[in-house]
Parts: sequence; C-alpha cells; structure tokens
Amino acid sequence: MFLRPFLTCAAVFLFLCGGLPNPAHSAGVPAAEWEAYKAKFLDGSGRIIDNGNGNISHSEGQGYGLILAYLANDPSDFEQIWSFTRTELLLRDDGLAVWKWDPNAKPHVIDTNNASDGDLLIAYGLALGGAAWNRADYTAAARNIARSLLKSAVVDHAGRTVLLPGLEGFGADDRQDGPVINPSYWVYEALPIMNMLAPSDRWKKLADDGQVLLGAMRFGPRHLPVDWVSIARQPKPAEGFAPEYGYNAIRIPLYLARFGVTDRALLTWLAKATTASADATGIFDVTTGEVKETLSDPGYRLVNDLVACMVDGTKLPDAVRRFDPVLYYPSTLQLLGLAFIAEKHPECL
Amino acid sequence: MRKVLAATVAIMAVAAAVYGLNDADALREHFPERDGVQQSAPKLMAMGRVRGPDGQPVDYPGVDVYSGATGSTTEAPLQLSQADTAAPLTQAPAQAPAQSRTASENAAPAAGQAPNRPQVDESALRYFAARNDQARLQAEISRLRALYPDWTPPNDPLAVPQNGDPQLESMWRLYADGRFAELRKAIADRRVADAAWQPPADLLERLDVAEARARLVNASDLKQYQTVVDIGAQTPALLTCAEVDVLWRIAEAFAETDREVRAKDAYGYVLKSCTNPQERLATVQKASAVLDYAGMQDLLSSEHRNEDGSGEFDSLRDDLSRRFMAEANEDPKMRIADAYITRVEKLAEDGSLASDALLVGWYRLRREDTGAAEKWFRMAREREDSASASQGLALCLIAKKAPQEAEDVMYRWRDDSTDAKDTYMAATANLLAVMPPPVLPEPVLQRIAVEVIEAKDAASAQQFGWYARNFNQPQTAARWFETALSWKPDDEPSAYGLVLSRNQLNDRAGVAAVQSQWQGRSVRIANLGETTEQTLAAQRIAQGSADQQGAQLPAQQYAGQPAVNANAQQVIATQTAPILPAYAPAPVQQTSTAPVRRSAPVASASRGARTERGCTTTIDPEGLAPGAALSRGWCLMELNRPMEAAEAFGVALKRGSGQVREDAAYGQSLAYLRVGLTDNAAVSATQAPLARKRASELQVAILSNRATLAFDAGRYRDALLFLDQRAQLETERVDLMVMRGYAYLNMKRYADAMQVFEAASQSGNRDALRGLADVRAARNNDY
Repeated sequence: MFLRPFLTCAAVFLFLCGGLPNPAHSAGVPAAEWEAYKAKFLDGSGRIIDNGNGNISHSEGQGYGLILAYLANDPSDFEQIWSFTRTELLLRDDGLAVWKWDPNAKPHVIDTNNASDGDLLIAYGLALGGAAWNRADYTAAARNIARSLLKSAVVDHAGRTVLLPGLEGFGADDRQDGPVINPSYWVYEALPIMNMLAPSDRWKKLADDGQVLLGAMRFGPRHLPVDWVSIARQPKPAEGFAPEYGYNAIRIPLYLARFGVTDRALLTWLAKATTASADATGIFDVTTGEVKETLSDPGYRLVNDLVACMVDGTKLPDAVRRFDPVLYYPSTLQLLGLAFIAEKHPECL
Repeated sequence: MRKVLAATVAIMAVAAAVYGLNDADALREHFPERDGVQQSAPKLMAMGRVRGPDGQPVDYPGVDVYSGATGSTTEAPLQLSQADTAAPLTQAPAQAPAQSRTASENAAPAAGQAPNRPQVDESALRYFAARNDQARLQAEISRLRALYPDWTPPNDPLAVPQNGDPQLESMWRLYADGRFAELRKAIADRRVADAAWQPPADLLERLDVAEARARLVNASDLKQYQTVVDIGAQTPALLTCAEVDVLWRIAEAFAETDREVRAKDAYGYVLKSCTNPQERLATVQKASAVLDYAGMQDLLSSEHRNEDGSGEFDSLRDDLSRRFMAEANEDPKMRIADAYITRVEKLAEDGSLASDALLVGWYRLRREDTGAAEKWFRMAREREDSASASQGLALCLIAKKAPQEAEDVMYRWRDDSTDAKDTYMAATANLLAVMPPPVLPEPVLQRIAVEVIEAKDAASAQQFGWYARNFNQPQTAARWFETALSWKPDDEPSAYGLVLSRNQLNDRAGVAAVQSQWQGRSVRIANLGETTEQTLAAQRIAQGSADQQGAQLPAQQYAGQPAVNANAQQVIATQTAPILPAYAPAPVQQTSTAPVRRSAPVASASRGARTERGCTTTIDPEGLAPGAALSRGWCLMELNRPMEAAEAFGVALKRGSGQVREDAAYGQSLAYLRVGLTDNAAVSATQAPLARKRASELQVAILSNRATLAFDAGRYRDALLFLDQRAQLETERVDLMVMRGYAYLNMKRYADAMQVFEAASQSGNRDALRGLADVRAARNNDY
C-alpha cells in the first residue's frame, strides 16, 4: 500500500527533472548572493525575516526562501527553512499554512487564516526540492498542500476559475463585493507543478483565466490593475482596500515572465505604465494615475528592466545586476529575476 | 450466500479505496481500536520496547517492568488509530536518512542480536544534565531503559565521556538547546560534505519527535485540533507518560472535535499508566472541564488510595461535586450519586457561598422538589441577591401558589435576561389568575401593567381581563382583552373574554363584531346569547378550561407545575375591590371592526337582562335560602364569577334538598370546572344524585378538562386515555379531535395523527387542516 505514492512521486520527479532548471547545472542563484541574502534575512530558526515589515515572517517568505534555497542548490538551508515552516506555520487543520508569524506577538500566530500565494510558493518549493534531492517527504508535503488548495482555495465563479487569496473573508459569501482576488497571487509557474502533484484540469484553467482576468483589470487613467480586485461583476477595485497598483501587483510582470509568457503587448503594458521615471518604478493610485511612492530599489526596478530586455533586447543596467540586499521583498524579487535571466536570457547580461 | 460474498467484497473495496488497503492484515492493522490494546499496542510503538527478547510482542497492561528510581513507568503509548486522523497516514519518511526512520526496530534488541550488547548513545543524557533539565533527563533515562532493558543509567550523567566526534557533540548540543532547524541544517551540511556519514538513528528520531512536539503544541495553541490528533497518531513516542502535556492536548483536541469518548481514553490513559501525583490531579481537573458525569465516574474509578485510606483526588471532591451538580442542573432527568449532592449541601450550609446554595436550589427545583428548593434559594438570596436566586425562588413561589411574593421577588431582576423576564411574566399571569382573585395594591397592579404592556405579553393581558371581570369591571376587562388580541390575534380565550364583557356592557354591536370575526372558529363565541342549557354548559366548561390554559402555560415552561391555585375558598365579598390600572394599553386594531369605546359608562350603569337577577352586588351567600342561593349561583355563573358561584351553589347544596340539591351539585361542579378545579368538580358531582343526562354531561366535561390538562402538561398518553373515556360517553368534538391529533403527533404516531386530522378537517376546521400540515412537516423532518 505504501508503494503507490512512491510510484507517483517517481512520475513527478521525471516531469520535474525534465522540465525544470536543474540547480546543479544551471546558474540559479550564485552562492555569494545567496550568502548575502541569508545573512540579511534568514534567522537561525529557519524563518525568513521580512525586515521591511516589523521583522515578521509569513508563508510567502518561507515559500520564497525554499525556492531560493533550491535555486542556490543548498539542501541544508532548504532543510532549515522547511523545519520552521512546518513546525510554526503548517498547522492548519486543512493542511495549509497560517499566513503570518510575528516575533513580537504572543502567541506568534494570531490570525490562522492562510495566504494562498504563500501556500502555492511553499508547495512549489517543496516539489522542486523533493525532485532535486530525491526527498519523498518534501514531495508528499507538497502534494498535501496542492490538494488542499485545489479543494478550497481554487474556486469557480461566473465561469472563471480563480484563486481565493485566503480561505476566510474573500469569497462571494464573505463580502458584498466578493469574490475578491489578488492578481499577484497567481504564481503562474507553480500551477503546472500543482497539476502534477494534484492532477486536475482546473489548474490549467486557473492559469488561463488568471491572464484573462488580468487583461480586464485596466483601471483609471493609467489603465493599471490594483492589488485587490472585486470580481463580483466586471472586475473593479475592491471595497476597503486602497485602489492602488501596490507592492503586491508590482511582481506580476516577473511572474508572467518566469512563467514563459512572451506576449509582447501583455508584458509591455505593465512595464510601460509603471515606469515612474528613468530609473524608478512606483506605487500608483489608480484612481488619479498619480505616483504614490517612487521605488528605486534594484529589486523593484529589475522587474521592468527584465521586461525591456525580453521585448527590446535592452541589456540589464549594472545597477540592477548588483545584489546588495537591503529589504527582504525587493531583494527576493531581484534574486528570482536574476536567476531567471541567467537561465533563460543570458543575452541580457 | 452470494449476496453475503458480494457485500464483503464491496466493503473490502471501500476500505481499499479509502485507506489504500488491499489485504486482510492491513485491514486489521488499521482498525485496531475495537480489538483491544493488546493486539495493537506493539504495532504503534515507535520508541517503546517493540519486541521482547524472544521476539514476541510484549504485553504491557499492568506490567511495570522498568519502573526505576524516578517512579516513571514504561508503558505502551496511548493508542490513536486511523479513524482518529483526518487523512490516511501516508506521510512518507524522509528519503535521505531513510534507514534511520525505523530506528527503534533496529535499535531494540531483536532475538538474534540479544547476545550482543547494543551500543547505547548516552550523549543526550550529558546535555540534559549539563543544562540541569531534570524532566528531560528523566524522560531520556526511561526512554533508554525501554529501548535497552539491560542498560543501567550512569551514576553521573555529566561524566558520560564525549564520543570523540566534535561535530556530533555540537549536534547534540543544538538538540539539547531546542535549536531544531539549525540541527537539521547541521545534519544536512555534514551529509553534503561526507556522503558516507550517517547521523545516529537516535538523534534523528529524537529530532523528529521534538519537532513533532513543537508542531503539536503550536497547533494546539491555535485550536487546529485535527492537526493535533494527526501529529499524535504519527508520533506514538509523544503519547507516553513522559509527555503528559501532549496527552492533555490530545485529549483536548478530541473533546473540542466532539469525540468525547476518545478524550476520555486519553485522560484515562494518564490515570491508568502514569504515576506522577501532580499530573494525575491535573488530569482529573482538566477532564472535569470536558467530560460529562458518566465519563468522569469512569475516570475516577482509577483513583488510588493513599496509605491513610484517603483518596488521591480527595482535594478535588468539592469542586467535582459542584461541577456534577451544575451538569445535573442542566438536565432534570440526570441522576448523580447522593454523595455529591450531600457534599454540596454541606458546603452550602457550612460555607458562605451563595453559589453553592444556588446549585442545590436549582438541583431541587429541576426535580420538582420546590419545597426543598425554596430554602436554598432563600439562603442564596440572603448571601447575595441575584437574578438566578430570585428566579429560582420565584418559580418555587409560583409552584406553591404564592405568585404575589414571586412577583415581588422577581420584579427587581425582571430585565436581567429573557429567562428572568419570562419568569416575571409567569409570576404576573399566575398572580392575576389566582382564584379567588386577591386584592392587589395599586402600585403592584400598576407596575405589572407597565411590564405587561412593555413586554406585549398576551397571556398576562388576558389574565388582566379575567381579573377585571372577577371584580366586575367589564369595561376594563374589555380593554385588556382587546389588548391581548392586538398582540395575539388568534387568542380565542381573549376573544371570548371580550365578547362576554361586551355582552355584559350591553354592547350588541361589539358582540356582533367579535362574533363575525370568529365565525367558524369558536363555537362558544358564536353561541353566546343562546340559552339552552346544553350550550351554556358547554360554554361554561370550555371557558373554564381556556382560563386555566392561559394561566398555566407560562409557568409550566419552568417548573412543570400547574400555576392556578387549587384551593380558592376565600370569599371575595370580604375584600375591597382593587384599583385596576386606570389606563389601558392601545386598543385592538385588526380583531374588531366595532368602534372602540374609550369612555363608555361603567358596567353597573348598563346591566343586561340577565344581570337583573341582582347578583352584581357582592353579598355573603351564607344567609340565603337554598333556592335564592341556587339562583344567585346561576346568576354569578353568567357573570363569569365562578368562584362566587361555587360558593352560592355550596350554600344551596348544604341546605337544600331534592331538585335544588341536585341543581346545586350540578352548578357547583360546572363552576369548579370553569376555573379549572377539575378535582373539586368531580367531588361536587357526587354530592347529590344527578339525572343521568347531567351526570354524563359533567363526566364528559370533567374528562375534557382532564384531557386538556394532561395535554397541556405534555402527558399525551394520559390525554389520550381521558379522551378515550370521554369518547365512550359522547362523540368527540372537533376541537378535541384536533387535540387528539396533536397528542398523536407529539408521540410521533404520525399515521394515527394523520387519520384523526383528516376526519376532523372534513368539517373544514382550520386547526385540523393546520394539524395535517404539521404532521407532514414533522414527518419530513424525521425522515
């Protein structure tokens, strides 16, 4: 009876090993950059510290940490990050992770809601690590999360398959303008892997509908999406959230690129609309189209530079190639972007 | 045979589908719970001793083989089964250190290895000793003892030699410091650097267990109870006496997910297997917050006797008794051992806590021992007046026909809760229904009126109406009945009271309005004004039972005691009429089409024909001649002053003879029936030989009343019995058929109920039609 799961795992390994960058052979995240990242954001306890956010940790950060450790081909760090993730966050009865861990709160977890992108990232990281290092326990844990997401967080609404950002508080029954979705929670590259872990046509439909819905989110004078979107009817900014293209949405082009989207119009749309000045991107109030905050951290800038290289062949500026981590979030985006370029677009360097 | 086989195959297929099982052994392994611990215990032991020296599973129950200086017992862990977990236990073991996951099997001395003394890794001992972590040091010693029966712990764990592997030393240090993530990293680092190196199985296993414990505690703190149970099921090493806190958390997780029996198993495991006295006490305390009385009795049977003969849980007895008493107060049918009751009674008497007295009071009241309950509620109120104490006392007082004091006691607390308000309203309804009606002080009547209006309490408003009628204030009575109807338009007794009052006021238009409103719904309202003896009798009887009903209902909800007094021999004549609230609430809107007369002259100014016999003046009937007393009795009956009528009939009965005597017995019986004193009515009916027709009529009426009383009290079987007796004397009336139908319905005899309602509904009776619908609805609910 225990043979069957192993056989399935083997099948997953074949898929994964054939279709994904093998960290042993590809550039991935260079050791020096990973060391710098760890020194700044990885605590001995295995938690990734969001230093721009009161030094909290969250499922998203743990998921990014697992993926980066995999990209750095460092099974030890992966093991360390996983230990914290499993022990401190992967506690919910439904097998998903509680989303937030605060070192200054007692208990450290106050809200037991999940964040579906964090769960996706953790499951994705585990699947990668399980395949790379032949660890069936990682794969089994990834499969549990994928199944639970499919069962509860992937929902159908008005013919579209969407990802609820969290299981509590976002659905059609939870709020007047529900469902509310977050277009930056679609970690597109993880969805085919989820389909291997918990096979269902709905993962593909989720990826397709995600892009269709994203295309319909052109709000205000700049025609930008917002972080939180009501899809009760035609997509529109959700009640109770700032109507902004914010820190969430800023990673959307990176996710699309890493997924392998080559649609020029789709890629340039967001890059063009969010260039605040020559070497900065920004956070925008979509109602007015005004810049709310200019962001010059190389991690943020890299997102648009990466698109520019993909569509126009513009080489990456030195400023965004240098990894000198300051804040957790842009540093994470930068490593993910640089690893992608090293792997798929070395001509940009 | 074929069918049986097919069924077996089907069951196996389901099991295989659900649990991925495909043979009988696997099935047995996964459903061990019901087969007793002996069979399944060894299979779930990961860290205890798995096999004896002969390779056979070790029987654990009762055998305390390794109890050492610490007093801790080596025991099989608590059994959790597949059925406890949300998902099949398919968590795959880690690949890299795969061979180490079965550590205990490898490490335990199997038969073939017995002669070779296994190497015991004592590193952990040194670290716990160095940190002076006595709890974990002792846990580790018992664990190693279980694993290696021949092993003796070192005298000085600090002196355990270092094992010459500094890296491993530092790993143990990380473990001892609880730095599990770093230990994971260190192990992985070393394996990357040295592919040939294998971490000690012991270390990996300790680490797995430690992480599982941390995760379980976190999940438990976040109330993720299924996760708690799943981790427990995957980590039997946590389910031992060395981990009582974990066992408590498992028990709590079971309790919080409605698996009380499993919670009891977990607490029971501690009491059966573990020896630490503080932990045993705490286990009982925790269990008592979760388990019911029966479950607790089970647990308490594991209590040890101290050397002096006292029980180890004696210090908890007081609180346990209180707790059981509180549980018994939620469920009147529950019985608890007398010892607990006596203990709380003694606590209440010797101590000064109002709460103890309250517990006893409610215990008695819930068991309808209102006499005993009253004492405790009074005691509680003396110590600390509270809504609960006052409510309890008020219910006792209502039960013992002292609604006036009940009203007084409850008034202060009436707004404390819905229950308190209901009790207060019950007190007022009962107070107003007392026969003969007491003369209540004006302020009391005023405040009751205010409350009745505010609460829009139709039952009490109706009682105000009858109260006013009893004092011959039909104008006021009419207003109260109108008010009751405005809150409860289908309140037939109020409508009847209204039509009587308007009739008395000679308000023919008003009478006609009510009659047209109730056409086809009430025989007695329709027949008002017809004077054949039979219809009059029917009216009188029906009104009597209706009065009774109205007053009873509120009180019954609480103490199950009929509320109306049974002994109303006082004479109203000796009392001064009360001053009823001068204002009446907002008049009726929908029930009457007649104009409401707000300032009509008082009743005495507009006597109808039938009051001319002159019984409106209150006199003592004692001095009347038998014939006059008899006439007065009938006259009072028409004014619906039945208690006075009974008095008058009583005089006629005592002095009269022949026909007068017979009439008086008949009249008195009717009078008692009207106020619901069915037993008195039955006695009166035997006071003189009655014409057969009258005897039978009274018998019919008495049986109707008894059936109604039984029905209202929820004694449906009795109600049916009375109805059956009555049916032998007279064809069943439609309203009684409806009652019969509802009796069947309440007894879930749906087919019978259906049949009766169908028969009754052929006359177009609405109640019967509603009954039919109710049966169908109840049936649907049941299926």
